[in-house]
Amino acid sequence: MRIVIAEDDPLLREGLALLLRAESLDVVATTDNADAFLAAVDQHRPDTAIVDVRMPPTHTDEGIKAAVEARRRHPDLAVLVLSAYVEQAFATVLLHAGGHRIGYLLKERVGRVEQFLDALHRVAGGGTAIDPVVVAELLKRSHAGNTLHALTPRELEVLALMAEGLGNTAIAQQLVVTHGAVHKHIRNIFAKLDLDPASTADRRVTAVLHYLNANCKS
Amino acid sequence: MVAGRPEPAIPRRTAGGFSERARAVLDALEHLVGGLGTALLAFVAMAWVTAVTLLCAAGIGLLLAPSVPHAVRAVAARERARLSRWGPEIIGPGPPPARARDALADTAVRRELCWVFTHGTAGLAFSAFAITLPISAVQDITYPLWWRLLPPPDTELTGVSWTVTNTSDALLVTLLGLALAAVFVLLAPAMARLQAWPGRHLLAATADTDLSLRIAQLSATRAAALDAHATELRRIERSLHDGAQNRLVGVTVLLGATHRALTRDPAHALAILERAQDAAEQALAELRTVVRSILPPVLDDHGLPGALAGLAANCAVPCQIDIDLPGRCAASVEATAYFVTAEALTNISRHSRARHAQVTVRRHGPHLHLQIQDDGTGGAEAGGKAGGGTGIAGIRSRIHAHDGHLTLTSPPGGPTTLKVQLPCGS
Repeated sequence: MRIVIAEDDPLLREGLALLLRAESLDVVATTDNADAFLAAVDQHRPDTAIVDVRMPPTHTDEGIKAAVEARRRHPDLAVLVLSAYVEQAFATVLLHAGGHRIGYLLKERVGRVEQFLDALHRVAGGGTAIDPVVVAELLKRSHAGNTLHALTPRELEVLALMAEGLGNTAIAQQLVVTHGAVHKHIRNIFAKLDLDPASTADRRVTAVLHYLNANCKS
Repeated sequence: MVAGRPEPAIPRRTAGGFSERARAVLDALEHLVGGLGTALLAFVAMAWVTAVTLLCAAGIGLLLAPSVPHAVRAVAARERARLSRWGPEIIGPGPPPARARDALADTAVRRELCWVFTHGTAGLAFSAFAITLPISAVQDITYPLWWRLLPPPDTELTGVSWTVTNTSDALLVTLLGLALAAVFVLLAPAMARLQAWPGRHLLAATADTDLSLRIAQLSATRAAALDAHATELRRIERSLHDGAQNRLVGVTVLLGATHRALTRDPAHALAILERAQDAAEQALAELRTVVRSILPPVLDDHGLPGALAGLAANCAVPCQIDIDLPGRCAASVEATAYFVTAEALTNISRHSRARHAQVTVRRHGPHLHLQIQDDGTGGAEAGGKAGGGTGIAGIRSRIHAHDGHLTLTSPPGGPTTLKVQLPCGS
């Protein structure tokens, strides 16, 4: 996998590159600002970009804008955005740029290398990886809006894991239930939320997130 | 107290009654001179009021009448500010009524008129007398040194009432001078109080004074305080995020990498672990910096003198601290004085090319006075000079948030003097 990194903190940038290279991943460029990042993406055509949200000059959402722009120029690029804190608006902006090949994780997740690599591969493979904290936040807000009251606690658990981007097998493992049980829960969830069960895995996640997101706004 | 030494600095309580007395007399002298200044202004205002009144009688003064309340108010405002600097604050009323007829009916204007006439006549005479006293004392004490230089027939024209023909006569004059000096030393503080009495009495706000201007001003400074607070929180958030938080994320990333490398390549794992430890130490150092920038622990431990001595010791430009405070001020005032000094010293070492800086802190009545002076190239201004400008703007907003005042004099070529006055809040 060919990767470009955009991260303005030198320690973190080098740390990430070191970690990924040790895993035999190909880090083709590291950059410390949005413009250099976009140039590097144009030049190297990586499979995946790992982007920090806050970068110079204003240290607000340069990373999100750069990620969206990179996706506009290269629709096949997988983008994993790292953030120091949870900001739902960022997740929304990213998901609107297309729900697949998108990840949004808290920075400290990188330290749990196995899970981080798992998320990275999932995103690169066409899936989604949304930080559990973001998902929990979304679900909490939606609760307040009474929209998910129809779901049982078990179904809520399944929905949360789906929203993080896990597939059916992973969900079954995590909840220690059978594949069939997960499948049944998901069907129930879709039925209760009026979603089409025929769509593919990452579209489901996107749909769920969009749905939750719409509820937060209302 | 000269800064640059790390020992804990204790506020210097003036030892014994002598230096305390000397300070009281010097302060009183300063007040008497200031009072003489406002008395002269009051005299001019009085002359103007009289002239306009006479012209009104002649019919042509009506056009000038509206200027009277403004002139009186301007002089009174000066006296209020002067008296507020060394005693309880005297709150002034808002602008006087525009029409002369309304102004004459206004209690505040009438009391100010009373004050102008008192201070411009009796006050002026009294101030002149009070100032003559120390001047003649000095003249008489030094008389033996220079009386021979006077042309012989003029020896009587020196303010001495007897003819001086030899040295012992001249020494008698010295005795007279010493007596005058003693009288002045004894009476000076009382004379200063007496001189200020009409102003304190007549210029203070009465119960029915309209204080809306003052309230508006307080609301504005309060809003500025909240703004300063929000800016401060944003600064703390930013420095925590960019500093300690990023370092700690770095630590987790490096620890994760170590974890993975342990089984594969233990030697490499050790090297990464080393870097993780460095990053953790950096995070600690940055946390310390942030904590110190919120409220320096040194202020709590050693008070303002110790904290300022610490700043001076770390300043690139040799800096002398002269601080003499009777006790502690409110914590927020001390913190403001500390940060203002820190910012000013940073500006001095960055921009001024000064060879020496001097920080003076005094307490006059309810106010803390802070003066920071350097012998640099000058040209510092509140909004202009790159780098220096934002620093001074920051200083200004911190001071305004405390309802204090700042004056900056920095002519091209120097020297630069920053004067700050803060209400002590205790």
